Amino acid sequence: MKRPFIAIAVLLSVSPTVRLSAQHFSVGPQIAFGDYKEVSPDLHYRGGGLALKATFSWKKLSAEGVASKLKYKPEGGAATTDFDASEVDVRVRYLIAGPVSGELGFINRKTDPEFEAQSVGAVVVGARIGYLLGPGVNLSLNGGVLAGSKFSGGGTVSPLGAIQLGLGMSVDALKGRLQLTGDYGFQRFSRETDDGSGPASAPIQQSVGRIGLSIAF
Amino acid sequence: MIRTSTWMVVFVALLASVASAQTIQNATLRRAQSAFDNLDYRQALTLGRAALRERLTGYERARAYELLGFTYSGMDSILKSVDAFKQVVLLEPERQLDPNRTSPKALSAFQVALTQVLVVRQLVVDSVTFVGGQGAVPIRYTVTQPARVVTRVLGGASPMRIDSTIATGQVNIRWPARTATGDPLPAGNYTIVVDAAVGQNSFSASQPIRIAHGVVDTVEHLTSLPGYSYLPETEVPPKSWKPMGLALVYTGAALAGTSALSSGDLGKVSLREGAVIGTGIIVAGFVMTLKKPAPQPARGNILYNQLLREQIARRNAEIAQENTRRRQQVALTVAPIRTGVAR
Repeated sequence: MKRPFIAIAVLLSVSPTVRLSAQHFSVGPQIAFGDYKEVSPDLHYRGGGLALKATFSWKKLSAEGVASKLKYKPEGGAATTDFDASEVDVRVRYLIAGPVSGELGFINRKTDPEFEAQSVGAVVVGARIGYLLGPGVNLSLNGGVLAGSKFSGGGTVSPLGAIQLGLGMSVDALKGRLQLTGDYGFQRFSRETDDGSGPASAPIQQSVGRIGLSIAF
Repeated sequence: MIRTSTWMVVFVALLASVASAQTIQNATLRRAQSAFDNLDYRQALTLGRAALRERLTGYERARAYELLGFTYSGMDSILKSVDAFKQVVLLEPERQLDPNRTSPKALSAFQVALTQVLVVRQLVVDSVTFVGGQGAVPIRYTVTQPARVVTRVLGGASPMRIDSTIATGQVNIRWPARTATGDPLPAGNYTIVVDAAVGQNSFSASQPIRIAHGVVDTVEHLTSLPGYSYLPETEVPPKSWKPMGLALVYTGAALAGTSALSSGDLGKVSLREGAVIGTGIIVAGFVMTLKKPAPQPARGNILYNQLLREQIARRNAEIAQENTRRRQQVALTVAPIRTGVAR
């Protein structure tokens, strides 16, 4: 149990030999907690887990990647079985004007057991606005559509039926070497299925909050 | 007292050695001179030739040939007299005969000898003081035969040619003592060298000189303009509730967006996750509101400082030009260090 803490302490105590002045890289773990609903209010899950977040920025270009794994448990209703949701969320941003960036990326969420909840894949197209609240404190708000969504159980989504919204914050500590991070992400898929008896609404909705630390280079 | 007497002995010894170098010590030559003084030309010739076969100093050898020249001219052997005087000129290029004490025949033979030997004589650099660019150093010399004569100055970074001409007789040069860039020659010791060449024969004469500079009253470069000072390029904005307001707006937008975009089919939306993160953001905004704001670049001051720096740079460029002009107009004093040495 002590090993991870020792490793983190050593990592934090090592001063980077070369400070990358034109580019910034950060990586760190996060604690994640989420809320998941599918089809109807009866299929309601809540859970928690871990995530790893990495960011990279160079001039006007920046990238962010999050890998998370949440263990969802039924929250009343008709759901009876737990499931794990492993999600990868990768986005590349380009600063367009002022604090506004355009972003492009993808999400891929797999569930285990496979048919307990929907596995999802989609392309993220959106925009992000950032603001420096104060020295070392960054705030961001992002939103966009989840285009070309695919589901393990089938179904379709209209072009604007899958959307995502996000809120983010990072606070520098230890002269910028350590960052406290907080992220919120909301996804909604207005999915429709058709089993031969006509279209049926089978929406999927997930809210995830993440709080963590990252080491900046 | 002992020390003073010791120095006196050394001084007398030095004087004696210098005097001996300029007097005739050789007994045969002294006897030849005595025979010439007694108008016994045959005896003077015999003893003079005998003296030349003995070990003589340079001065004595020149005196021996001079004695032969005078003796031959006294015996009307002009050609032999000229030959003897040629040897004198080669040994002592600066040698001059006193016209008041020398017979016309000997003078004539000496003049003919001068025209038959290539030497550069009487190289003189006059002492002079002038303002750089407004005067020149007079240099004059005499070359005994028509020859290509090159005058150079040595001692600086590289030899510098002053003059090049084909000349005979007395030559006068006016040298401005400036480099190719127009700057005055730096202060220091130099040597004026005159090289004469015709066919296989060549001759050089030199004259060391010292160049001294007067004081140049240059203007100091500016680091600031009087009455104008640099302004701080960053300024701390006044405290405001903007961070708190923005934190509320961002959080509100996210939560409101979540509520608005959530699916009605799924019942009440969960705002728990957004509220947790939003609370953190609002706390951060509140702390940032209370904290002293970070310094922001002051664009007006940056532009003002840039303008000030450009003005100072422009003024310094003018000062540099003015200083260059003043340095070129320094008072130059040129003086010969000692008499010329010919070889």
